[in-house]
Amino acid sequence: MSQSWQVELVAIGSVVPSTLAHLREDLAGILACPVWIATFHVDPKPFFDPRRRQYGAHSILERLLQPPPEENVHRIGITELDLFLPVFTHVFGAAQLGGPVGVASQYRLRPEFEGDFPDQIRLKQRLLKEVLHELGHTLALVHCKVPWCAMGASRLPEHVDLKDSSFCNPCADRIGVPRNELGLFTENP
Amino acid sequence: MKQRMPCLLIVDDELHVRESLGHWFTEDGYEVATASSGKEALAVLGRQHFDVVITDIKMPGMDGIELQRHIHETDPDVAVLVITAYASVSTAVQALKDGAYDYLVKPFDPEELSRVVEKACEKIRLAEENVALKQQIASAAPKLIIGASREMQRVMELVESVAATDATVLVRGESGTGKELVARLIHMQSPRAFGPLVAVNCGALPEGILESELFGHEKGSFTGAAGQRKGKLELADGGTLFLDEIGEIPAKVQVELLRALEDHKITRVGGTQEIKIDFRVICATNRDLEEAVRQGTFREDLYYRINVFEIDIPPLRDRPEDILPIAEHFLEKFSSAMGRRVTGLSPSARMMVLKYQWPGNVRELANAIERALVVCRGKEIEPQHLPILSRSTSQDGGDPDDLSMQAIEKKHILRVLKLNEFNVTHTAKALEIDRVTLYNKMRKYGIERPTG
Repeated sequence: MSQSWQVELVAIGSVVPSTLAHLREDLAGILACPVWIATFHVDPKPFFDPRRRQYGAHSILERLLQPPPEENVHRIGITELDLFLPVFTHVFGAAQLGGPVGVASQYRLRPEFEGDFPDQIRLKQRLLKEVLHELGHTLALVHCKVPWCAMGASRLPEHVDLKDSSFCNPCADRIGVPRNELGLFTENP
Repeated sequence: MKQRMPCLLIVDDELHVRESLGHWFTEDGYEVATASSGKEALAVLGRQHFDVVITDIKMPGMDGIELQRHIHETDPDVAVLVITAYASVSTAVQALKDGAYDYLVKPFDPEELSRVVEKACEKIRLAEENVALKQQIASAAPKLIIGASREMQRVMELVESVAATDATVLVRGESGTGKELVARLIHMQSPRAFGPLVAVNCGALPEGILESELFGHEKGSFTGAAGQRKGKLELADGGTLFLDEIGEIPAKVQVELLRALEDHKITRVGGTQEIKIDFRVICATNRDLEEAVRQGTFREDLYYRINVFEIDIPPLRDRPEDILPIAEHFLEKFSSAMGRRVTGLSPSARMMVLKYQWPGNVRELANAIERALVVCRGKEIEPQHLPILSRSTSQDGGDPDDLSMQAIEKKHILRVLKLNEFNVTHTAKALEIDRVTLYNKMRKYGIERPTG
């Protein structure tokens, strides 16, 4: 089965253009589907919570629904801002399960956030995995038990490092993307 | 075997909290339900079982602490995780004292919340696994039944035939013949082997208690019913229910049991909710149930319902060739448990054991060997270690009143010949006489090898 959906990337606030360009290229290669960068960007100011000094992820998801994405288009917001949900201290991203929109933040994925030296390559990989993860949720995938699958739950940045930037075979088959070429460790336990 | 995903109930008066947590745990693959108040939560819990309840403490009406008390009154196995926006140590301590699994302050660190819930689910899974393993170990005792006799081989064949089916079995036999062991063997060889085997002695309990024991009860259904309790039928869900001494069951309970056996549904004492249960039934009795039906003390419909497949265990006296192997089995078992180095029974003790009638069957034999081991100080059990047997009168055929030495010798030779299938060499060896002497005695007493 091959997928009939497409991916649109939208900048939330200021995002380095090369970040979006790299993401577009990597995603198109992994997913084998059209991926493009939206011509508009979302202003994050209305979603800022001054008490928490963070941005509300749910409100951003609601904003991403305007204008409504075309049928079969999954719109993923990309941001460098710190996201939260009211009950959580922070989130790396959020998505509508089986809905058309998701958002991924690289704020807490930066190695320097954990006291490491800045590492652009690691950050780029982490963001790609987080975008794949949120995209998977918009395609109705829930968390996967395969440790390296992009749909594995990540509560810490180092959990993201342990994952691969691809889906395990059962998840890939479910959303109709090409299987991992290496074909290793592909069975869901 | 694939594990079922744990069920979570989220209770909070704030919609965004219910939605956020519901969404979060759904993404994690949990089965999630929500409730906006303590009252609504109890209604949801009345309809469905949940493994973990995550509840806010501060809620209008019933607060989280009170909700937790209600939950644990009816089902202490549910892990309750309390959350609050107010970091109050005293509230946290109160919640934990009342049995809360853990306590979290809003907003949560996603890592912390997931870890706590995963840990709670793991604890529940381990507890369930522990119960299942204990039952499995208890069911998997080696050498459950010993008996090479033709009669016991027939019993084993019947066990093997019926085990694979879900048919109701009625095991009959005198007291002490091992009816429960046969039931256990059927369970172990059945597709339900990994489910529980729940045994109830119907003769040991008065009517009211037996009813509650079998069907369970709801809180307050009678004086002393302090909490809800599951009955043995419910505990046998997915496994086998063994009803021992079925012939002793009171008339009122017979009606309810018949309904449960036919519909596989029960209602707890004092309850209204029907509970569907998947179980197989094995019954046992030493009573003449047909006579009880004729006398009207046992329901005919229940008799036909339980007597689908019958297995009769012969008394030990009718299968003398099983006596010594069983005695040796118990000798080995009890010597190992007592740390004794008794190697066996002396020839004279063996003869005594063989001659005895064993009215209490295998149970009596086990008790006699255990007692003998307690008093035995040597390497072998001797006749003096078996005083009960020494006092008894052997009644191995012939005239029981004829106590002459010749009559006893004839009976004894005949018995040992039977044990050795009339093999003269083996019999002579067992009697510790030579073959010629044995032939002479056989001629003297008119004992002949049976033909055919």
